[in-house]
This record gives sequence, C-alpha cells and structure tokens, in this order.
Amino acid sequence: MSMMTGKEYIESLRELNPEVYFFGQKIKSIVDEPMFQPHIHTAAMTYELAHRPEYEEIMTATSHLTGEKINRFTHIHQSVDDLVKKVRMMRLLGQKTGTCFQRCVGLDGLNGVYVATYDMDQKYGTDYHERFKNWLIQVQQNDWMPSGAMTDARGDRSLRPCQQKNKDTYLHIKERLKDGIIVSGVKAHITGAINSHEILTMPTRTMGEEDKDFALSFAVPSNTKGVTFIFSRQTNDTRRLDSPLDAGNPKYGIVGGEAIIIFEDVFVPNERIFMAGEYDFTTELVETFAGYHRSNYGGCKVGLADIVIGGSYWTADAHGISKASHIIDKLTDMIAMAETCWSCSLACSYEGYKTPSGAYHINPLLANVVKLNITRMVYEWMRLAQDIAGGKIITLPSEKDLENPQLGGIIEECFVGKEGFPTADIIKMLRLIENMSVGAGLPEAMHGAGSPAAQKIMIARRSGIDKKMDFAKSVAGISEDKDFEKIIGTDEKTYWDETKKKIQEKRPQIC
Amino acid sequence: MKTMISVGLRFCGGCNPEIDRVGVVDRLKDAVQQRGMPAAFVTDKQVPADLILLINGCKHACLDEAYVSQGQGPPILSVRGEMVGDMYVKEEDIPDFLVERIAQALR
Repeated sequence: MSMMTGKEYIESLRELNPEVYFFGQKIKSIVDEPMFQPHIHTAAMTYELAHRPEYEEIMTATSHLTGEKINRFTHIHQSVDDLVKKVRMMRLLGQKTGTCFQRCVGLDGLNGVYVATYDMDQKYGTDYHERFKNWLIQVQQNDWMPSGAMTDARGDRSLRPCQQKNKDTYLHIKERLKDGIIVSGVKAHITGAINSHEILTMPTRTMGEEDKDFALSFAVPSNTKGVTFIFSRQTNDTRRLDSPLDAGNPKYGIVGGEAIIIFEDVFVPNERIFMAGEYDFTTELVETFAGYHRSNYGGCKVGLADIVIGGSYWTADAHGISKASHIIDKLTDMIAMAETCWSCSLACSYEGYKTPSGAYHINPLLANVVKLNITRMVYEWMRLAQDIAGGKIITLPSEKDLENPQLGGIIEECFVGKEGFPTADIIKMLRLIENMSVGAGLPEAMHGAGSPAAQKIMIARRSGIDKKMDFAKSVAGISEDKDFEKIIGTDEKTYWDETKKKIQEKRPQIC
Repeated sequence: MKTMISVGLRFCGGCNPEIDRVGVVDRLKDAVQQRGMPAAFVTDKQVPADLILLINGCKHACLDEAYVSQGQGPPILSVRGEMVGDMYVKEEDIPDFLVERIAQALR
C-alpha cells in the first residue's frame, strides 16, 4: 500500500474498530462518534498534507529500509536534515490544525526503539533490532499510525513497579511462553490512542533487576483481543455536541484525544516483542524517546502560537485597537517567545548526531531546554492572548442564542466591531482563542513529553557543570590560564607583580 | 627498525565540548610513548598523514562532515565526545581505546 490520504486514513480506522469506551458506554464506531471526530480530522491532516506538492518536501521521506517514498511520520531519521525537517513538519501541522496532531508520539517511539534495540542486540546478541525493522517496514508500507504508549498508571510513586500492591499499575509480563508473552497492565494519557492502527509500548521509567518483567516494549494492533481504551475528557469537551461555534475549534478539537489503555492478558507474539526484561536498557530507551519528543514542542506549540498571535491581532483589528502601542508590545512579546522556542527546536536538531544504530538523535540537553521553555512560555503567550482578546472570551453567549430570532439581533449589536468584521466572525475567533488559551492545551504544554521536573533532571545531568566551574576558575585567576600566559609572555604571578609595581610607580597618590 | 607513522591531529572548534579534548590527546600521547609505539602526532595539515585522528568535542562531530563524508584519503578515527566512531566510550577510556585502534593501524 502507498501513503494514505486523509480520507483513506479515516476509512482504515473504520475497518479497525477497536474497543473504546466513553461516558461509560462502548462506542460502536469511533469514526462516527462526534466527540472523537475532531481528533481524527487532525490526525488525518498528517496524511493529507503528504500528498500535496507544496508540503511533500517536509511531509515525506525516503525509507532507508525499502527505498520507497513514505510519510515522514514513519521515518527513521538518517541525517541532521531529517531532524530539522521533522520540527518544520511539526510547526506546519500546528499551523494547519491549532491543536495536537498526535502522530509525533509514535514517530518518536519508532526512532527511540530503533536506537535502543540496536544497542541491546550489541550487548546481548538478541535479535530485537531485526524484529523491530521487520515491523517497521510494515508500518511504513501500510502507512500505519502507531500510538506511543509510554506512561503507565504508576500507582504509589514511592514504590518501584515490582513493589506495587496492584501490579497492573504498570504494564508487565505475566507469563513467558515459547512463542510469545502474556501481558497485563494499564497505560495512561496515551495521545491519539483510539485512532491509531497500532500500539507501540515502551517502559515508563528506569527499571532495576527486580523490575525486569516491567522492562517491556512491544507492538500490537489496536484491535487486539484484551485491549480496551477509555477516552479521556477535556475542558469544555461536550460543547462540540452543542454547536460548532461554541466548540472553539470544531474541526480539529483540543489536545490529542488522550486515552487510558487497559491490557488484560494480551498475547504478544515473539516477532512483535522488542524488549522483554533487559532492564539495563530502560534508561536509554526512555531518555532517547523523551529527547526526541521534547524536541518537537518548539515546533508544534509554535505552530499553535502562530494561530493565537494571528487571531489576537485579527481580534485587535476587529475592535479598532491594532495600532495601540500596548497591543503591539504584547504581540511582539508573544512573537519573541514563540520564535525563542522555535530556535531551541531548530538548534537541538542542527546539533543532532549519529547513533551507533545509524539513526540520528537530537542534542538531548537542548531538547530538554526546548520543553522546559514550553512549560512556561505557552502560559505566558496565552495569557497575553487573553489580555488582548478581552473579557468577551469568557462571557460570549451560545450559538443557539445567536440563532434565536428575538435575541440574535441584540447579540449582533452587542458584539459588533469595526466595519468589515461581521459579529459572527468575531465570535468565531474569540471562541478559538478561548479554546486554545483556556482549555486543556495549557496543562498539555506543561506535562506532555514529561513534567518540568523531568526536564530539569536531564538538564542538570547533561549541562557539564564541572567544565563551567573550570571556565570560571580560569577567568577568575584561581586556576592556570595558559592562553592568557601565552598572550602576556610570562606566568600570571610575575605579570601581576610587575603590573602592581608599575601602577605604584605611576600613580603614587592612590597608594 | 619500526616505521614511524604520522597521525594527523584535527581538533574541532571546541565551542561546547563534553570532553577535555586536549586532555584526551595528552593522555593518548603518554600512552603511545609508554607502549613504545612508533607514532608521531602532527597538527600541521600540510604534513602528509598515515592516519587522521579527529577530536570532536561532542557527538555532533563538526569535523566529520569535512573528513568522514569525503570518504577518501588516509584512514580516519573520529572521537565524537564520549563516542569513538559508532561506539560509546567513556572519556577516561578514550586514550586506551585509541591506542588499540592506532596499534591496529600500525599492524
């Protein structure tokens, strides 16, 4: 099969029909469920743009395994250029949808597992990497969207996975068979899970020897027996059942349509297992995946910022205040913050490197800086968007009121702006800004790809603080500065003794 | 009498190294001397080298683009931060690792 279009992707989900629950009820058809449709449309955009000549340069790649043209969301990065194109793709899709397009988690999972399985095989002589490549070829040729299922439910965080009272708080191996394994457990907050063709699981944390049954990575189709999804709620989510106008972003929704995935005695055949007990590689897999994933946020969230900045300016213009200095000042701050995050994403990609597997990885220190900035700056540029939008974004009447023959006219008058800006358009834009700045998108920017504390651990670990101290000691004159001594032609002590003597001779009045 | 081989040393710019590039080379020179290996290190790019040793401060390896991707000239050993070629090597182990590689080149 070649690359799917957006429409073909949606139809492929109809054939998949996974077991999904929402509001306590089993959903018969995820494709026809209005609560899910915006998320499905957003993921479909990752398929659709790959067919457009004006986007194919960043939306497609050439498979290093088959030589075929593939959607970049199934590609293993083969160069720094691939890493850069990946974040460009993120910004583009953010601009096109105004929300999370979900497919990057699977992409980062593919690359993370690719890197880690290669290194595992080098140490243990296992064949995980070959298994993974065989599965990856299927992903590429079928243009599948795998969800990246890393985070476990985790229970009592003070206890290790093996110490949990309920072992199912972490996905784990229940039984090892000759031809595969039986697994159980719960994964949480999994982006795009219900509308993915496959689930790619990864361990959620560093595991010790006693946790080796939790050191686990595999892939199964989303409609595998024993797999159940519970679709999560989002802020103001049922507004999409009320009316398109009230929903804010009715076409593409808000955040990534996260879900809980329950595995109950699921059989995984050997050829789909990529880690089964190699606990000493859990850190590498988690950190590699997290590095890739954190690098994305200066792309996708900046694409969203482009919309919010544009929407804020449009709103200011609609109300006749776009030339006011305080508006320009706020917009400029928003732009500067967004482009700072973009710079970080580009930088961590340009500073990428080739791993032993041949896949390219981003610079992990800079990728964590990207994400840490996002946990702060998204809140700040959304705050400014609310500031510019004014109180209307939380006091607007509903679409039904607007359509009421007796009330509609009054509302038109109440919310009218400058000539040339229809009231209905003003309300549409304000609802979009409300959706993006008030809703679930903010905590998603905080916790998606890991909470700030996780980024700070990585930044502290990789910052090279000892070398920074050496620089400081050298400049302060505490340690030897060979370069300075070359410049002055003598050792530092002699130089300063002579300098002090000269000063005394020339300026005795000071001494 | 052993033939002296010339190892062409090439340093990256060292903007933000994760290893002490000069320290690694100093310890490598000591190890080569201790083992009595007939290898001389030269930084002059005009001097023909039998082996090129790239000392990149980090894994990004700026030098690799100019040297490794050309795929011609003498054999190349590339230190890329805490990697040598495609292998992870801790900073303290890099000199010994390189000595072995240079010894292989001498054979």
